[in-house]
Amino acid sequence: MSDFDSELDASGLNCPLPILRAKKAIAALDAGQTLRIVATDPGSVKDFEAFCKQTGNELKSSGEEDGKFVFMIQKAA
Amino acid sequence: MSHRLSGPERRETILSAAQGLFASKGFHGVSIDEIARAVSVSPAILYRHFDSKHALYAAVLDKFSHQRQSYVDTIVNHGTRFEDALAGMTQVYITSIADNPDILRIELHSLLEGNPATLAFFQNRWKSFTDYIEFGLNEFLPYDIPNRERTILSAALMFQGMVREALIQKCLQPHDRLEDLDLQELSNELVSLFLRSIGINKTQLSRKATMTG
Repeated sequence: MSDFDSELDASGLNCPLPILRAKKAIAALDAGQTLRIVATDPGSVKDFEAFCKQTGNELKSSGEEDGKFVFMIQKAA
Repeated sequence: MSHRLSGPERRETILSAAQGLFASKGFHGVSIDEIARAVSVSPAILYRHFDSKHALYAAVLDKFSHQRQSYVDTIVNHGTRFEDALAGMTQVYITSIADNPDILRIELHSLLEGNPATLAFFQNRWKSFTDYIEFGLNEFLPYDIPNRERTILSAALMFQGMVREALIQKCLQPHDRLEDLDLQELSNELVSLFLRSIGINKTQLSRKATMTG
């Protein structure tokens, strides 16, 4: 069983597209479900921190894998 | 009377002077000696902080990228409608350039100088808009219009040219022939014109999207 419910590949896209697409993807989730996001824009690290702070969703993890940035966001209850 | 600056203070002073000189004369028009003179230090002291003119120039660009405007607030608060988010992003961008027109001056010099690394840096700033427009139009435009892909790419370029020209007019021209329109109003007019040109017939953007900031 994977530890996320939905996945979004935002590779190659600049802010704000990864945020916009994440917002739409999270809207389709149920509370407590997790979205995994892959991005390549270095600015996305700060952007997803700010996004979670503003929306109340939880940034479960933020890290780098194979030169890409990977975020796990859990939808707020 | 001289106040002795700490290392970080000295570095900041050099960076700030270099930014102003690069903005007015371009990378090739400025020497290390000139920057050192502008902050009243010897070139040897300057080299303690920056290895070369290239390193100093890179540090100026790096400072801009740390001041990079985030569009998160726009996306979270202005909604996800294409036109509202685009208007919000444009406001954020033009405000950041109006606050620091040196960024635009350095961008224009870099276009003439043709340094690939610098061009990539500035192209990447515009990519937020061109990506957004290309992606949005790809979802929005009917699939059967002729030359669809070319239309989408051209629309993104049109938007970039429009906003950059508005910034040149408002931030760099000594005589502003559009003085009755301030930068925010001009930006809103241009975004509305752009939207009409691509078939989004909105004469009025939603109120939230046209607010400053």
